[in-house]
Amino acid sequence: MLINFTLNHKPVSVDAPADITLLTLLRDHFKLTGTKEACEVGECGACAVLLDEELVNSCLVAAPSVMGREVITIEGIHDEDGNPNDLQRNFIDKGAVQCGFCTPGMVIAGEALLATKAEPSRLEIREALAGNLCRCTGYMQIVDAIETTAKGRAEKRNQEKRER
Amino acid sequence: MAKFDYVLAKTMDDAVRLLNEPDIRSIPLAGGTDIYVAIRVNPIWFDRLVDIQRILELNEVSMENDEVKIGAAVTFSHAIKNPILQKTAPFLVEACKTIGGPAVRNCGTFGGNVSNAAACADSLPALVCLEAIAHLRSSKGQRQVKVEDLVTGPHQTQIEPGELLTHFTFKAPPDSAKSCFIKIGRRKAQSISRLSIAVIGTVDAAGLVNYVRVCPGAAVATPVLFPKVEDVLLGKKPDKETIIAAADQLVADMIESAGRRWSTEYKEITLKAIAERSLTKIFLEDGHHVN
Repeated sequence: MLINFTLNHKPVSVDAPADITLLTLLRDHFKLTGTKEACEVGECGACAVLLDEELVNSCLVAAPSVMGREVITIEGIHDEDGNPNDLQRNFIDKGAVQCGFCTPGMVIAGEALLATKAEPSRLEIREALAGNLCRCTGYMQIVDAIETTAKGRAEKRNQEKRER
Repeated sequence: MAKFDYVLAKTMDDAVRLLNEPDIRSIPLAGGTDIYVAIRVNPIWFDRLVDIQRILELNEVSMENDEVKIGAAVTFSHAIKNPILQKTAPFLVEACKTIGGPAVRNCGTFGGNVSNAAACADSLPALVCLEAIAHLRSSKGQRQVKVEDLVTGPHQTQIEPGELLTHFTFKAPPDSAKSCFIKIGRRKAQSISRLSIAVIGTVDAAGLVNYVRVCPGAAVATPVLFPKVEDVLLGKKPDKETIIAAADQLVADMIESAGRRWSTEYKEITLKAIAERSLTKIFLEDGHHVN
């Protein structure tokens, strides 16, 4: 069936089987392999994407149900020049990336949180990451990266305010 | 070839018509958080998913006079942020907070949680305490069933093929009611209930219990109320002794209903503890327990 939606800010149209998940649609039909396939039962968060700005596990979303909606994957998260954005740079700087398999989902979950809460507490960050498993880092570095990004963005906003 | 088809229902009538089309086994799709897990382990038992997520009425929480209405496609994230539910059913909101992680709560719905009817479903104990009514619609008409009666066994309900669970209603508890939900899981977040409990109650001017409902989750075959436990508390001062007697009654009722099983040794101790803790919370402390 024909599925039209917005993918990483661009309108797309794809002919895909009705019985696949959004995860399969992204990986197999769009070759966007940044979204990872792991548990496939909604426990690990490696396949997390933003659907109409909300965090979802793409392994549990019916592909045709995104018709007319907006999907952002890790490939859609970057600076204007295409380089890693502040959150992604902080993941690197803080050692929040080890094997890297959970990282796309972690970054997406981090962006989902920062979009609704400008300055989250560490507890709020941990709650926002509750559905994302990492078997390497022990999570502290990931929490650090998100916390540092929140502070950086708040500072940037304040500076812009002062300049105005 | 696709193993099943998908169709988007735009209105409630549309959904009911699609679910009742002959020669094609259709089931409703809301958040997908149970269906897409189930089809990985079970043979596919339907020919078509009827997507009900975008039907406006199914996505609303409202209150008219004393009656609260929750659409079947309302997500747990929506419920957590909803002022009507925060005010009238804080223990239901607490239960929603314990379901999955944020991504699952953004998709998972009340209709799905109840119709999937897992023994550990976290929205069920509070809905049963509230004596919530499930509203069902099909091509034959409408009917209403108490949530307590709707669930007939683990993963079994009275919902007939072609019937759409549209919404739940419950009478808002008195303003003075205090409620509590406690869940025991293997980890703090994103965990499946090993055991849970929802309680709600009020005391009269003399400090005697005049209303109380107790419903444990994952304790017996289906989420039900325990009238004998209520009887232990009603008309009494809810002191420590009475609360312990009520918790003992609950454990005795659980064993009478489910029999002595491999898990009883664990559950009798744990259920007693969370029953005491939750009843203490509502009658002797501030109410709402945060997991």
